Amino acid sequence: MTAPIAEPEARTTTGGTDWRTRRVLRNEVTEELRAVLREPTTLFFSAAMPVGFFALFVGLWGAETDGVTTVGTAMLATFGAFGVVGVCLLTPGIGIAEDRERGWLRVKRVSATPLPITLAAKVFAAVPHACAVLLAMTAISAVTGTLHLDTVSWIRLVAALVVGGLPFALLGIAVGFLASPNGATAVLMAVFIPSAVASGLWMPLEMLPAGVQQVAPWLPTYHLAQLALAQMDGRLGLEHAAALLAFAALAAGAATVAYRHAR
Amino acid sequence: MDTVLKVAAVHHRYGSTVALDSVDLQLGAGECVALLGPNGAGKTTLVDIVTGLRRCQQGTVAVTGGDPVRAATRRALGVVQQHSGVPRALQVEEVVRGAAIRAGAPRGAVGPVLAEVGLTQLARRRVTLLSGGQQQRLQLAMALVNDPSLLVLDEPTTGLDAAARRDFWERLAARRDRGAGVLLTTHQLDEAAAVADRVVVLAHGRVVAADTPAGLVARLPDRVVSARTGYAPADAITIDGTVAVRQDADGRLVVTTTQPETLVRALLAADPELDDLRIESAGLEQAVLALSGQLTAPPQEMTMMEVAR
Repeated sequence: MTAPIAEPEARTTTGGTDWRTRRVLRNEVTEELRAVLREPTTLFFSAAMPVGFFALFVGLWGAETDGVTTVGTAMLATFGAFGVVGVCLLTPGIGIAEDRERGWLRVKRVSATPLPITLAAKVFAAVPHACAVLLAMTAISAVTGTLHLDTVSWIRLVAALVVGGLPFALLGIAVGFLASPNGATAVLMAVFIPSAVASGLWMPLEMLPAGVQQVAPWLPTYHLAQLALAQMDGRLGLEHAAALLAFAALAAGAATVAYRHAR
Repeated sequence: MDTVLKVAAVHHRYGSTVALDSVDLQLGAGECVALLGPNGAGKTTLVDIVTGLRRCQQGTVAVTGGDPVRAATRRALGVVQQHSGVPRALQVEEVVRGAAIRAGAPRGAVGPVLAEVGLTQLARRRVTLLSGGQQQRLQLAMALVNDPSLLVLDEPTTGLDAAARRDFWERLAARRDRGAGVLLTTHQLDEAAAVADRVVVLAHGRVVAADTPAGLVARLPDRVVSARTGYAPADAITIDGTVAVRQDADGRLVVTTTQPETLVRALLAADPELDDLRIESAGLEQAVLALSGQLTAPPQEMTMMEVAR
């Protein structure tokens, strides 16, 4: 039993509180980005590694064609998916684990801002980070002369990858609530790298063993890459979007359970 | 005096373990209450409930009349924790601005609060470059920026040197004068004795005592006076205030008394050559340990010089 409430909840729908929520969200995202940019070592796994791999593979095979487009252009979808998943999975997940361990999350929880806003900010902060990774890959692809994509298709590709990558942030947050920073890094990398390889993000699925090819359609990373490839062909890729939506529901459930467990 | 915190009949348990058992606590504006007790007494659970981190299972908790589980109520709260974990890459001003935004404080609150805690000159400095005392002042700025009615200080000066501790409390005094209530948990009992208006002692989840620091100490009337002397134990029994007399194996006379001054005067008159006189005096630490059933630490000792003063 608790005391009667004297003031309205912060998340009501009045104009003033909506404005305040947006202000809080903007500040939280800015804080997240500042922390990332000022300590760029955190960018190694989530940005430098995928962009570096992309540069290496495009340099080796980017100019080859599959009869429709260059391999380098298709790699923008597959390695783009790899880069976006890395950002969305690792940055919020490890960030939550670190905030928990240091006591910063506790500071946020006793503040007048509902914690879900803080968590939403961690997810949103991944968006500019992911866009930066995709821009870097696009620039490399253009410089090496392997980019053959019109602007509309490129925008669709980026939008599909960024929006489709957000459910991975929920999974990262779930792990971040349950594990230490080192543990979260280990668990997320153990999920991230095998999923990327088995989904054909590094090399075409046809080059992988048959068993792996059968597993791929069960992996959300596969559907993210296929959704991105569909945008290049002018298709919507709704079946892949639906698969990602189902994954988002599961990841949201896992994040909710982990959050309640961590309380 | 307005009530800023009211805890009434709060029970809380973890499985079969009772963490809080019928706890009552009231704190008025401008008042400082120290919450003391051994580890496992329930202090952390109570602080968690008061700050909204945990919902109490039974009973009532109200901060300025509202439930602290509700985010809106927590606008009236300021919290300083032992470890805040402020991101190292952020600058002092950015951290306090963030706290102001989260608390719904006006934009103009940041500058004055930085000045209040003496961090104006360090506003652009990154957190990683601050000393321990400066980081604690930063936490204080975060807690004060929304002009809270209730400040919850959880081991706020742990790890600070004496000068930094004094500085912390001096800066907080002005807020208390303006009406902010303070709920303090600390293991620095000398500090609690110095700053708290009242002390609440928790043991096994129950409030076992609530009084002023002096009132708690006064509940232990006995002092133990000991010395190497030829004074006969049988004679000591006849001195006013003597409760018990014994002689240690090494010949040391040990007298428990409610009137140590009378006893010391009698001993010095009878044996001017006595040696190694000690008066074991109960301070707040002794009182808290006794009241919470944890009397295991050695009592504070006074030297002959201190007795003379």
